[in-house]
Amino acid sequence: MDIKLRFIIVLFVMLCADLFSSHWSFSQNIQNSKSSTTQKKLVMDLGVMCEEIKDFTPQNPAVTFSIKIGKVSCFTSFDPVPEKTFIYHKWFHRDDPSTKKRLTLQPPRWGTYSSIQLRETDKGPWRVEISDQKGNLLRILRFSITD
Amino acid sequence: MPFLEFIRWQDVIDILLNSYILFRLYVLFRETYVFRVLTGIALLWIFQRIAVFFGLILTSWVMQGITAVVALIIIIVFRNEIRSVLQAKNLRAILWGFPQKSVPTTIQIIVESVKALSKRHIGALIVLPSKENLEDVFRGGIPLRGLISKEMITSIFWGDNPVHDGAIIIEEDRIARVGVILPLSYKSDLPSHYGTRHRAALGLSESTDALVIVVSEETGKVVVAKDTKITDIDSTAIFTKILQEHMGIHEEENVYQQKEKFKMSIAAIISVFFITGIWFSFSKGLDTLITLEIPVEYTNRNSSFEIVDASVNAVRLHLGGSGALIKSVQPEQIQVKLDLGNAVIGRNIFSITQDSITLPPGIFLRKVIPSVIEVTLDETIKKEIPLQVDWVGELPEGLILSEIEMDPDKIEIIGGKRILGNISTLYTEKVHLDNLKRTGTILANLALTPAALKIAPGSKDKVRIVYVVKPRPN
Repeated sequence: MDIKLRFIIVLFVMLCADLFSSHWSFSQNIQNSKSSTTQKKLVMDLGVMCEEIKDFTPQNPAVTFSIKIGKVSCFTSFDPVPEKTFIYHKWFHRDDPSTKKRLTLQPPRWGTYSSIQLRETDKGPWRVEISDQKGNLLRILRFSITD
Repeated sequence: MPFLEFIRWQDVIDILLNSYILFRLYVLFRETYVFRVLTGIALLWIFQRIAVFFGLILTSWVMQGITAVVALIIIIVFRNEIRSVLQAKNLRAILWGFPQKSVPTTIQIIVESVKALSKRHIGALIVLPSKENLEDVFRGGIPLRGLISKEMITSIFWGDNPVHDGAIIIEEDRIARVGVILPLSYKSDLPSHYGTRHRAALGLSESTDALVIVVSEETGKVVVAKDTKITDIDSTAIFTKILQEHMGIHEEENVYQQKEKFKMSIAAIISVFFITGIWFSFSKGLDTLITLEIPVEYTNRNSSFEIVDASVNAVRLHLGGSGALIKSVQPEQIQVKLDLGNAVIGRNIFSITQDSITLPPGIFLRKVIPSVIEVTLDETIKKEIPLQVDWVGELPEGLILSEIEMDPDKIEIIGGKRILGNISTLYTEKVHLDNLKRTGTILANLALTPAALKIAPGSKDKVRIVYVVKPRPN
């Protein structure tokens, strides 16, 4: 399948999801399938909180985000991705679960992210727990929403 | 009687103890000005209570004011008298001794006077009548009715006194007449050294039951004539004994002692009644109610257990007692304690009983709300918890807090198993972003919520945060 065509399909799915929730997710194959598919273990090579995703790249990664920017994203990339699988982004405001996103990963490498729209009541410390489809915790990203 | 239901054994002791204190004050201060003033204060207080009872506002205020001022004045004005009473007596005398009156008796005065007259060779003739009337027997004399004293007797028989040759008649504690002429005895076998006084003394003793004391002017010797007999007086003891027998003084002393005992008994009874009255005036109106909220104290908790939840932290106590006592009750005087000695992990239900509550004397428990408390206990455990900075405020414009590093990034916490089970992150106290203009380091305290959590020994209680601030890309 052509890369552009795949991107359009993924974008369509993402927009549909946004209609049901203020949170939405997006995933994209950040590179064509040059990597080997022989590796069997899923490895997360990057996980950051950022203000936005532009050209499939996290912009302005940080640990505090002003509520004025209106949105914050959690970007994760995996290399290798041995097989088609999915991961979870579980968002917590303090210790209260806020949202849980199920994001699909495609071999051989994959980058994906989830975002939340910020409201006034969202100020305070947050964390995003990234776990695989079996629930194994891969990483915790911590950040704060401030004035 | 319904009010007797409220009287406890402590109240009985209370009344008896204060009655005894009042009684002792009477014993120590009676016949002093202090006692009279104290009696006045007591009367003022009684009037004040009566005024309060009848709702006389101004009178009760005035009485109260006067009582307070007089009580202050008594200490200042009579401080010397109070001090002399208290200093002169040892502890035993203050607590339970009965001071004896040391007023000299008529016999003592007569004995002392006769001794003085004898020593100075001043002739004297003293008549102590008994039951028979002497008015038909003696002649002349001047009525005196003066209180007996050694000085008075000595001066009557002084040589230059116009009445010194006559006899004096002593009735009870007074010199009734002076210069009295007594009938003379016509006995012919009297010793040659006896003079007219001796003959007169014998003459009266022959015709009456009176006792006559003679002091010889020549020899200074003392003799006593009674019932036609003359007795030489060689010692004070014999003289005193003769006088006592004549005056029936043993009986008098008994009467005096009985009077004293009677007085003391009356004083003791009045003290008990007075204090009982005060007690009841304090206890009056036991239906007076007050509601206080008292925090619950938990005792005897197993050291490995922790209270993680209690249905209430304080209980409301409805207390009764007299108005005066209720007004003076302070919440600090009341304790509500729950014994957790038999408590187990999980939910425990305790009833608050009378035994759980400590009240000041005279205050009674009417009701406890709630009467049942639910306490949840948990086992104390240690848990390593990741730390996170609680950033607040706003970074200066054009800057991004790109990354941070924390030392330590985890900390060991001691707390209840249930609480720690629900805690996955421990936050710092709020750290302000407003002043973070360049990369640096700050120290932050931990916010231990709930407060039951504790940092394990050996763990740091502060977090060192290394932060990196970068300019925001255009």
